[in-house]
Formats: sequence, structure tokens, C-alpha cells
Amino acid sequence: MPGIGLYLCECGPNIADSIDLDLVAAEVEKDGKVARVERFKLLCSEDGKKFLAESIKEHGYGHVVVAACSPKQHQTTFEEVAAGVGLNPHMIQMVNIREQCAWMTPDKEEATGKALRLVRAAVSRVRYHRALEQKEIECNPDVVVIGGGTAGVEAARRIAHEGRKVHLLGVAGLGSEPGADDAPAERVEELKQDPLAEVHEGCTVQDLLGFFGSFIARVKTREEEEIEIRAGSVVLATGAKPFDPAGFPGYGYGMLAGVTTVGEHARAEDGAPALGTDRPVKSVAVIHCVGREKLGYCSGTCCMEAMGFARRLKQSSPETEVTEFFRDLCLPGIGDDGFHRETEELGVHFVRFRDVEVAQDGDGLAVRYQAEDGSSDSLAVDAVVLAVGVKAGPSNADFAGMLNLGLDEHGFFQSEHPVLNPVGTVTEGVFTIGSCRGPASTSDVLIQAGAAAGKVLSALVPGRRMKLETRTSEVADKLCTGCGLCVAACAYGAVTRDDARRVAVVNEVLCRGCGNCAAACPSGAAQHRQFTARQLDQEVTQVLG
Amino acid sequence: MGEQQPAGRSDVLVIGAGLAGVEASLTLANAGRKVYLVERQPHFGGNVIKSEEVFPNMECATCMIAPKQSDVIENRNVELLTLTDVKEVRGEAGAFEVTLRRSARYVSLENCIGCGACFEPCPVSTGNGFEEGMSQRKAIYVASAGVLPNAPAIAMGECLRSKGDDCTACRDACMFDAIDYEDKDEELTIEVGAIVVATGYRLGDAGLPEEHGKGELKNMLGAFEFERLRASNGPTEGEIRTRDGEAPKSVAFIHCAGREELGYCSQVCCRYLAKFARYAFDKLDGVEVYEFVREESVPGKEAQRFVEATLKKGVKLVRTAAPPKVSGNGAGVKVEYRANGKSESVNVDMAVLASTIEPAEGAADLAGLLGIETDRFGFFRTDGTEPASATRAGVFIAGCGTGPKDMPTVVLQAQAAAAGVLKLTGN
Repeated sequence: MPGIGLYLCECGPNIADSIDLDLVAAEVEKDGKVARVERFKLLCSEDGKKFLAESIKEHGYGHVVVAACSPKQHQTTFEEVAAGVGLNPHMIQMVNIREQCAWMTPDKEEATGKALRLVRAAVSRVRYHRALEQKEIECNPDVVVIGGGTAGVEAARRIAHEGRKVHLLGVAGLGSEPGADDAPAERVEELKQDPLAEVHEGCTVQDLLGFFGSFIARVKTREEEEIEIRAGSVVLATGAKPFDPAGFPGYGYGMLAGVTTVGEHARAEDGAPALGTDRPVKSVAVIHCVGREKLGYCSGTCCMEAMGFARRLKQSSPETEVTEFFRDLCLPGIGDDGFHRETEELGVHFVRFRDVEVAQDGDGLAVRYQAEDGSSDSLAVDAVVLAVGVKAGPSNADFAGMLNLGLDEHGFFQSEHPVLNPVGTVTEGVFTIGSCRGPASTSDVLIQAGAAAGKVLSALVPGRRMKLETRTSEVADKLCTGCGLCVAACAYGAVTRDDARRVAVVNEVLCRGCGNCAAACPSGAAQHRQFTARQLDQEVTQVLG
Repeated sequence: MGEQQPAGRSDVLVIGAGLAGVEASLTLANAGRKVYLVERQPHFGGNVIKSEEVFPNMECATCMIAPKQSDVIENRNVELLTLTDVKEVRGEAGAFEVTLRRSARYVSLENCIGCGACFEPCPVSTGNGFEEGMSQRKAIYVASAGVLPNAPAIAMGECLRSKGDDCTACRDACMFDAIDYEDKDEELTIEVGAIVVATGYRLGDAGLPEEHGKGELKNMLGAFEFERLRASNGPTEGEIRTRDGEAPKSVAFIHCAGREELGYCSQVCCRYLAKFARYAFDKLDGVEVYEFVREESVPGKEAQRFVEATLKKGVKLVRTAAPPKVSGNGAGVKVEYRANGKSESVNVDMAVLASTIEPAEGAADLAGLLGIETDRFGFFRTDGTEPASATRAGVFIAGCGTGPKDMPTVVLQAQAAAAGVLKLTGN
């Protein structure tokens, strides 16, 4: 059996001065587990790498331990050296005797003792390393975009490209049909003309199956035809719902004549909008932050929409008195403060409130409010327009179920990472954009659509095979009782239960190698390929030894 | 993938290696593109690496970004060029020719292992800009422990050798033959099909009196000063201290300080000041925390909950129509404000002002070199429906160069810029 080679890097004086490497070498040699110990001044240097390669080749080692710096710094370096001489990179174990010993432990004897334990642990574990195979799969470069509002349409047109087809599914009943929101009609038309895009309107998505590189969408079309669409990636752009103020009597919505929402007037570009009352309208109150308290978040877009509405109103009927009641003005955009100032200059009044209520007042309405200083006041108006927040749509839960996606406390899709991967999800190859992942302004939506396109174009290159994670988990059929604990423990939907054989099965494409299944398994059937029970036992025993 | 195109035409230049530049580069590199990632500083990672923790999960910032930085260093498709500036841009979309100027580092990135043995013997000591001058560094230095690449640079203007002295202290201390006093600035020309501008922002001082941090106003700080005080690799190793080394018993956070002057909301201050309040509660037992707020601007599904939870820790929230007036008061700071129609004031040991997000230094010059437009505030202008496209074909923008943004939006815009590049130059 080929032996284990141990290499001790001196890192110039960095390790050599702080650790008695001769002692480490002598002690490990005495253990009799390694074939040979060799020291080198600087293993990561060109000379060092050459020496390492030639030495591994000459002695025909089956396993190698490199005691040097942090694996963050040079694991890849030494893995590449190993691969270069035909040794599987998983047969190398690094020991960090620089950052974790030489630079941390001032007493040389202590540092040497610590280094010795860590080296022994690595030697003991590495004998049980297996060569892991780098697998690759074919990828379908096509993409299915679900939801035909601005987000979906904009993502689709950025993704449709030579060698890659995009399927845009308008989804019935979700308000995300092509052209349903403010997706410009010409953009939808453009897509319909594009030979690389296929637009299906009025669909129902019945199921979504598969994994990155190979998804299947089972869809019922408007014509009641059941079709299957295959794609390598899925973009969800299913939109959201406006907050419904009807359940909150304080706003009078649905009860008092003359109370409407800003959203109802979004399309009334020209002329005075109908404000829900037969009376001539000479004064209007616009109330911001409707739903904010109940929702638990600021939707971030309503202030600008409310001001946009007030300006349209002022422009069509300049004599109308318009007062905006707000709690905080959320104006994060670069031009928003200017927009606010211009709105004030048009004669729109702004009043900050702590609390507000709409009531009948004779033939008209009264806005009763508590001002910032605690005083109470009231303003008589002919109509009230509510700027309502955004609420997660009901279909999010369905799609989350189909694709193993997380939902946050508000019912929006969760990001794989809130900062580094906002449109990504825990299911690789599935992206969420637009208001289905949280309130979003048009500019947010455009950026997110572009981001999803960037992620897709970068990850799914036509003709390229996808490399899979090598350090994954596996389940030993003979030991598995089919209890299903590992299925529940997996965050990536990678472990399923084969009901016919009553065993758990790991999908290697979905597995990210976190090891949760191995930790959850009561019978030792689920194991991480590079953290087997035996490897860990050997390692920990030596460290504690 | 561009095999039929002339060499270089599918390659991309990314200017600036902060969060946006790193994300754009990795997205492009993963698509198989060769990326030149240029960074003016000797290290990369931008402003993110100055933070201890980031909103909304109070995640360790350097831990969050370090794996991305490792990806850049290890990715064969990305060539990271530090200490490098763009000097000239010729040509057009699909065929740019760019001259870069690379300043001498005087330290070989191949030979240096980052042990730091060269710092101690250097006789020069000067204020460390990365730490807002709150600590000293040598003429051969790394900005802070843990920055990447893990190798110092010599600020030759400060080195005794530039003053005619034949000091070789750092070279004598180096065991790896990494110091090269003969290193020269160099110019190199590259051919690329597209350019991504990711030069970020400057944390400005609109609203901050010029004397802040000094003299009478020594305990009035800008955002990065406070951030570095909390940083475990910062000048106080994470302990929040006044300039006299005391733990402050009261801290005031002042919102919207320079907003009126600038004419726009810097967007992220409400959130980072809430984060700062948490820093104060975490690190200072029994501290009194004041927040002076004009408009609480906390858009998005996470921010309000975060702010509410912070307020519950005991923040004294004061609503003011205009930002308070701040002046020195002995070692402390006097905050005068109007609330509910009355003039009031409070004395605190430390005050932190919401520093403003302003166009990066040199943004106007770069816009000139690239032939792209800026807006009235000096930010790069984007094409209305293409939020990552500059006003010239082939030039894309990611990050705070187009205006203040939170980190997720910076990342998204970088990915969108990559999409624009890939679509333009053939995927």
C-alpha cells in the first residue's frame, strides 16, 4: 500500500523559529504511520512546489499531509501540485501550524506540542481519505421566467440571446400577465417577435421539478393544454399584492364615499381622476404609510407614488387643494428630495402625523390627526386617497413548496444571502426578482431583472458542462432504515426518500456538502464523503490525545 | 465565446475592486471572460472591509467578503492589478484600448508571504488613512491586519530613501527577498470589449464641521471613524473610546447631517446609525444613546424591524425638523436642537454624524477619460431603462458611482452590469 508523505514547511523563519520542527518530525516518525518526513524552507515558492511534485512522484505516496500556513492561503496551491502528478487532490490534508500555532502561541514548547497534535490528527485522518471524483453534468442553457410583469419581461429580454431560449410565462390571476402592470406594451411585443423568446399568456404552473441545469415546468396554458417546458434555470417574477385597507375602519375605505387608493389611479395619466365621489372635488388628502404598522415594514415606494399622484392631480386641476399626510417621508432615490421640493412648489401641502383617521363630515370627509407635537387637529376634504404598502402574494407559498424555497416572516421569498446573493435562493439555479421578494421600486425591479440575467448568463454558458461539488454526502443503503430525519435536516432539498426501497437518496447535483444529514442520521447511514465518522474519530482522538 | 473575435474583444476592464467590482469581475469570470480588475489602493475590498458588522444580520463584514476576495485571487480569469489607475481610453464599444498606470509597490507579490517582519524596523511613522488617522503606520505598511493581497507596499513619498537617505531597514528584515527599491512605475495597454466602472463613493463631510475629530470637536466623529473604533482589527481593537481613551457614557447619533446641503438623501445612514446604536449598546455598559432623526428612511422588508428592535434597547429618539447644531463642550459635545417648538440641548461624551455618500474622488476626471456623463451631483448618469449602463455604449456602471446604495443593491447592479457586458460582447 502506498504510504503517507508528511511535509513540514518552515515558512522562512515564521514557522521554523517558533516551532521545533525537528522534534515534530522525530515524534511523528516514531509513530510509524508516515513513510517519510521532509522539511522545506518555503513550500509555496516555485522551488517548493517543484520539490513537492517531484517528491510525491518519486515516493508514489497515496496520501499527503502538508503542515504549513492556513489552508485559506495555500490549499488550492498544494491541491494543484498533487493533481499535476496524478494524485487525487482529496488525498491531501493541510495542517495550519502557522496562524494557529507559530503566530498564536508565544511559548515554543507549547507551540511545538500543539503543532505535533495537529499533525498527528491529520496523519491519522488522511489514511482514510478516498479519492473523490469530479463529476460534470450537461446543462440546458434555456431559461423559464414565471411572471410577465415588468420584472419578468425585463429579465426575459436580457436573457434571450444566441444559443439560449427564454420561455416567459404570464401567470393567470397573479397580476403578472404581460402588460398587466406597467410593463411597456412595446417591450412585450418585442419579446413576442423574438425567435429566441416564447411568450405564453394566462398559464397555470402546475409543478416545477428538477435542479440547476435541468428543470421541468408542467404548465397548463390558457387554452387548457398541458405542456412541459425544460430549462436549466428558473426566474420567479410573480409580483405582490397591494395592502388592502378595507379591514381597517379608521381609513373609511370601502365604507365612505370618496376614499380610494393611489394604485387605483395609477393609469389615469390624463385629466382629473375619478375620486369615488359625486361631489365636486376641491380638496384632497393623500394619506401615506397606510398598512405600514400592520405590515411591519416600510414599502419604500409609496411616498414617491403618492407625490406622483398629487402632481398629476395638481397639473390637471391646479385649483384643487392637496395635502399629504405622512409619518416619515421615505425619499431614498438621488432625485427624490428634488421631486419633493418641486411638489411643494406646486402648492401641495405636507403635514406630519403620528396618528390619523378618516371620518364622515357632513357631505364630505374629515381627516383627524395627531400632529408630531401631540396636538390634535382636523382637515375637511372632499376626497381621501390612500398610499398603501405592498404585501406578499398568495402564490409565493406554492412556488416555495415546489422549489424548496424559503419564505421570510412576511411571506416574501428569501435570498440565498441578503447581501451577497439577493436574487439567488437556496435552490441553485432558481432566482426571484421584483416584488415577490419584497417591495421594490421600478428602478429596483430593473436592477434585479438585470442581476438575474447576469447570474444566468454567467452560470449557464451554452455548451459548457457544469462541475459538481465533490465533497458531498452519501447514504449507505444497508444501514439506512428510511426514517427520514435526514430529509428534514437538508436545507437544499437534496435528500429524498425512495419509498419503494425505504431508503434515503442524496441528489449529488443539489448537495452542497454541509453534513447536516450525517449529523441527523441515528444509524450512521448518512455520511459526508470527506468527514466520515472514522475520519473525524481519528482526528479528534489525536487532537485530544 | 468570442473565438471569431479579435483577441481582447471579449475581455473586460473593471475599474475599482470594492464590493461592486469584485462581484462584477467574478460574474464575468465565471462566464469564461478574462477580466482586468484594477484598483488604485495597494489592497482591495473597498469600503466594506472597514466595517465590523453589516446590516441586517450583523454579520462579520470581513468574514462575509473574504471568500469573494479569495475567489478573485484564485480565479485564473481575473487579473487583479493593485496600485493601478486608468490613464487613457481610446476606441469604442467592442474595441477599447486602455492605458493603465501601475505605481511601484516596491514589494514583490510573488516573494512576499505577508509575515510583517518589515514593519517594526521602519523608522518612519505617519497617520494611517485607513484608520482615519486614529493610529500610526510605517512607510512600509498594510492598511490593516487582514487586508488582501496579504503583502505590504512602500509609500515611497514617506520613505527616507525618497529624502536621500540610504535606509534599508525593511529590506534587511525581509527573509524572502521581497523588497525591491528599484521597482518602477509602469504603463501597460490592454484591449477590452467593455468597461465596468465600479469606483464607489467617498464618505463625505457635508454637515461635518471642518474641525471634527480635532481640538474642541475631538469627540465628534464621522461614520468611518466610529466604524473603525468598533472594528476588532482597528486602532482600539474594537473598544469604543473617546480621544482621551475613556469609554463614553453617552453617545449621540445625528441623522441627515449634510442632506440639506447636498440636496439628496444618502439612503443608508438611517440603517447604519441604527447599527451604530447596537455597537454602542453591545460595547458600552449602561451607555445613554440618543438618535436625532429628521426623517426615518428605512425602506424594504428588513429595515423597520431592525430599527424598532434597536430602539427597544433604550435609544432616546428625538425628532427634529432640522439637524441639531453641534459644538465642542470641554472634552464632550453639546447638541442643540429644536423639538416640538422648543429649543433644547444635551451634552454627550461623543457624537457621530451621518456622513454623506458623495461621488468618489476623481469621478469627474474618470468620466472625462471615459466620455460618460455625470449628473448635477457628480454621480455617473445611467441610461433610464438600463440601470447599469453609462451614457456611452460599452461602458457599464456598478455600485455607488451612480448614487448612494445599500450593499445588496450594489451587488445586484454589478450582476446587471455583467449581464450588459455579456449581452453586448457575445455570451
